[in-house]
This record gives sequence, C-alpha cells and structure tokens, in this order.
Amino acid sequence: MTKKFYAQALIEALTETAEEDPGFALIGRGILGHGAHAHFDKPLMERFGDRITDPPTSEGAVASMAIGAAMAGTRMFCHFGTASFTLEAVNQLIHEAGVAHSMSGGQIKVPLVFHMYHGLRRGGAGQHSSSPQSMYANNPGLQMIMPTTPRDAKGMLRAALKCDSPTLYIDHGALLGTEGEVPDEPYEVPLGRADIRREGSDITIVATSRAVLWAVEAAERLAAEGIDAEVVDPRSIVPLDAEAIVTSIRKTGRLVTVDEGYQMCSIGSEIAALAAERAMDALKGPVARVARPPVPVPFSPPLEEAMTPGPDRIIAAVKATFA
Amino acid sequence: MIAPPAAQDRAAILHCMILMRRFEEEVLRIAQDHPYVGRQHLHIGHEATGAAVVSQLTPDDLFHTTHRNHGYVIARGADPGRAFAEIMGRKDGLNGGRGGPWHLCDRSAGFLSTSAMVGGSVGLAVGAGFGLKTQGSNAISITHFGDGTLDEGICFEALNLASIFSLPVLFLCENNAKEGQRPSSMLAAKALRDLPQALQIRAIVVDGRDADAVAEGAKEAVARIRGGAGPVFLQTNLERWPGSHQTKPEFPTGVTDLSLAWEEDRIEGKHADWVREHDGLRAYAKTLVDDGSLSRERVLEMDREVLELLAKAREFAEASPYPDPDSLMADVFA
Repeated sequence: MTKKFYAQALIEALTETAEEDPGFALIGRGILGHGAHAHFDKPLMERFGDRITDPPTSEGAVASMAIGAAMAGTRMFCHFGTASFTLEAVNQLIHEAGVAHSMSGGQIKVPLVFHMYHGLRRGGAGQHSSSPQSMYANNPGLQMIMPTTPRDAKGMLRAALKCDSPTLYIDHGALLGTEGEVPDEPYEVPLGRADIRREGSDITIVATSRAVLWAVEAAERLAAEGIDAEVVDPRSIVPLDAEAIVTSIRKTGRLVTVDEGYQMCSIGSEIAALAAERAMDALKGPVARVARPPVPVPFSPPLEEAMTPGPDRIIAAVKATFA
Repeated sequence: MIAPPAAQDRAAILHCMILMRRFEEEVLRIAQDHPYVGRQHLHIGHEATGAAVVSQLTPDDLFHTTHRNHGYVIARGADPGRAFAEIMGRKDGLNGGRGGPWHLCDRSAGFLSTSAMVGGSVGLAVGAGFGLKTQGSNAISITHFGDGTLDEGICFEALNLASIFSLPVLFLCENNAKEGQRPSSMLAAKALRDLPQALQIRAIVVDGRDADAVAEGAKEAVARIRGGAGPVFLQTNLERWPGSHQTKPEFPTGVTDLSLAWEEDRIEGKHADWVREHDGLRAYAKTLVDDGSLSRERVLEMDREVLELLAKAREFAEASPYPDPDSLMADVFA
C-alpha cells in the first residue's frame, strides 16, 4: 500500500487501462479540473496524450461520439468537466447509451465511462453546480459510481472500464486532494458493494460522494457527545447495495441520509424509502434527509454556504431523530 | 467521372428494391391484421436510394439508422422473418421484441443502433466513424436521415466533429421534402447542402428516384471516404410516398404492380402522378427493361421469388410466441 492523492489514483486507473488495451481511447482533456491537483494527470498525458481527443464545445455530439465509438467496439473514457454540462447531452446519455443494450435485445454493448464533477463548488451559481445523480439514477441502463477514497476511485474506475455497460462516474472536485492508502498491486473494486466507513451502533448515516467526508466528521464529533454513528458509503448508486444499507439500518434502528442533490426524489429519498419498505419494524425514530433546499444555487458565498449540507446540519439531523 | 454500375449489379439493385417494397407492403398488412402494432414509418419511395447506396458498401461498414429503417436492415441481409417478428413484438424478433418497428437492429448485418430520436443516429454515426478510425479499420460509418433531421442542433455538431477530425462517415440525407402542405424541414439555408458545405464537407446531390444516379453518387462518396478524405454528405432528392406518414395502415397508391413499368396506360387514380413520376421502383424496372438489361418476365419472376420469401417470413413471425414476461429484466446491463 502507498499513500496517494485521489487525483493520482484516478489517473492511475486510466494509465493502467491504456497500457492494457491499445484500443482504449479518451475524449476530453483537463480530467482533474483546473485546481491544485490538476498536474497529477501528467503521467497519463506524457505517455498516452495521443489517445486523448480534445473536442469542440458540443456536449451532445461529443457524448454521441463516445457512445457510437463504444458501440463500434472501442473502449472509451469521456470527460465532461462540470456535471451541469451533461444536461446538454442528456438525450444521448439516457436515450442512446442507456437503452442500446436492452433495445437491441442484448446485441449492442457500450463500453464507456462518462466522468463529470458534480456539486456545490463555491461560485458555481445556478448553472455550474448541478448534482444530477438522482435524475440519472431514475433511468435504466446507466451504471453510476461515486467513489470517495483514492482506493475506491482507482478500483471502481478500473472495474467500470472493464465492463461493457455505460457508466457515469459522478465525481466531486473536493475529493481530488484527499489522501489514502492505495494497493500497489493491480486490483478492482466491484460495483454494487457499499463500504462501512465508520462502524457504530446508535444511528446509520448513509452519505454519497463528498457528503461522506462530512458524515465522517459529523460522526467523530457526535462520538464526543456519546452518540456512536455508523457511516455507510454506497460507493455505487447503480447498482445499489440495498442489502448492506438495510442491514445497517436494522442494526442501529435510526437513519439520516446525506447527499448534495436537491431533496425531492434524491438519492437520500431512495435510501429513506428502503428503510420504510424493509426496516420499518426496526426503526426507533423518524428518518431524516439532509440535502439541498429547493432553491437555484445562489452565487453569493454566505447564501451558497447556507444551502450546503455539511457536518453541522448532519449533527442537527441526527439529534432530531433522537428527540 | 465514375462509370455506372455493371448490368449484373443493376439487376441486383432492382431485386433489392423489390424486396424493400414488398417487405413494407407486408408490414402494412401486418399492421392491418394486428392493430396493436406500433406506428409504421415505411421506406416506400426510398428504395432507389436505399438499394443503390447499400450496393456500394462492404459487410464491415457500420450503419446507424432511423425509425424509417426497415429497407436498410433487410437490404443488408437481416432475416425478414425475424424482422417481421420484431415489428410484431415477438420473441424471435431481431431485438427479441425489445425494439419494435422503430428500432430494428441486427449487429451481424452491421447495424449498431436504430435511433428514433431525430438526429440521434447522426451523432452516433460520427462516433462509429471515430471508433473505426481509432481502430485503423478500412470500414466506413453510414447514417441516413430525412431532411427534417437537419432542423436538429445535434446535426450541426455532428457534421462539425466529423469534419474537424476527418472521420469516415457517409451522411446520407434522404430529402423527402414535402409532407402534405407542411415542408418536412424548415431551414433558413437556401439549400440543404449549404449546411455541410459551410463546415467544409463535400456535398453530392443526386436524384434519389434514379437508382443509377444514386449508385454513381454513392460510389464516388464511398471511394472518397474510404480513401481517407473525410466525410461526405450525399443528398438524394425524393418525393414522399403519399402514405409515408399515416395513422392508419393503408395503400394509397395501391399494392405495387410491376407490370405498370411497361403498361403505363393503366396508371390511374388520385396518386397516378406519384406512381408515374416519383416511384423509383417502377422507374428502374422500366429502365432495365427498356435498355434490354432484363426481360419483363425476369422482372416479374424476381417479384414472385420475393413474395414467396416474404410469405414464408410472415408465417415464421406469426408462429413466433411473445417473449416470456419473466424475461422482462433481461439485458438491461451487458
């Protein structure tokens, strides 16, 4: 094991795939954004820069290019930048990539990963802050991964790049600079298996993407107050490890969900529904959802801060379930 | 100047056109007999374009088609029985009943998808071209679409990408211009070819009812693309078949009678003008008989062979069961 940045681990997955598969092609530069960790893409750019196509600003056609190439047998990684931009390609993602395998009776495969950064990012305002995960999860045929550790980023991206179904990798820029142990030997992290990020007995907090960092911080602070919280990271939304989530809820008898999307029909709402369907008899208190309030994201920092779910709101929600 | 196709190829093109026409007529009968079948978008009137373009391709070339796909899928060798079965939602359909009439797909015949989202196939075909180029393949990517598709923004983006990256894509625009009183496309451009030409894409315009002209245009286009010169926009001008946009399955110009190719006095009815002036199948049968390439008898014999084949295909489809409801969740993921 070696301690690495999330950004390094993500690039390693791409570099190793490029080494293994000479046909592997990528669309879109700036895979690590424009921040402090952007330079970690160097190993990929230096060795495999000729595999990366820099497209014009045409999200719909760029998505089509990736999907069509994948259908024709080229394994693809397509980087979109901000998740908000994928809404320009939503028809291609949902109606082409998502349905191709089923609608062709299993004849057509789409070996493709779309990478995008979701979420509140300070100053993104109303058009660059989208967290579209629940919207995409509402459509069949698209896998969705949201890894939150360097180990999972590399292992899940490797796994997604090896399978023949289209996968949305919904990432958050705040994760790029986080550090963690990454195995030195080749490995994959299978999709559809949740990770218990912190074991606890009093309450289950199910969080996704950056919200896992908030949930872990909230759990540590709650421990000082005598509340022992378990933090569950689903890691992939499609497929979803319902079993692990329900098992944790049944163990603790309480549930708080956290995600960066809007609350209505959110990933948190889906988890809450699972609790109602499969763990009602084990619940000792009301379920709480921490999510965005229904307001377009404002630019002004204190306003954006006021709508951002964070450790304080998670702690308040946890305490409310005990009230 | 590229020579017109050889006599033998012309007979093959006519045979393919008859197959396309009779297939669609059977689809109309299926729709009459089984009212539950989805809305049909028939390729009648497009056969000269379809068969002639297909005649210039190789089995490795990849197709992205639209909801008006049946002619191409059959022409490229898909089993007509499985195609009928798909249109009827049966288990033995090409897509196992998952696609229906708008989405026939046969990977073994080079089809990657059949998108009924207008413009969808144009974007995907650019992707197939990108994939083929990346793979170092000599095959090309083809997408066909109506002129109305050019109203969609994705077409501009896709043409632009294909031109920038010099991708091996044939953009086949079946310009079927009018739909009743409403034009099928509404563009500020004076001519359809202005759009690809503005993006530095070579445009070839031919009479889409004339199979020889289409074959010649397609031959030039395919040679350019395969030679690495980038995409080509091939526009074939057609007059829509009066039944091409129907809500009820009807034969407005009657069931095709190939002897009208030489018995023109018998052409009559409300749509006689379409049959006389715009039916590429009748025109091509007449051309080949008039220039001595084929006898009348041979034309009628081809037609009988096609009808026999399709009768068997229909029987196969009718006998095919519906998919088992227990199979509902199959094939969502690969």
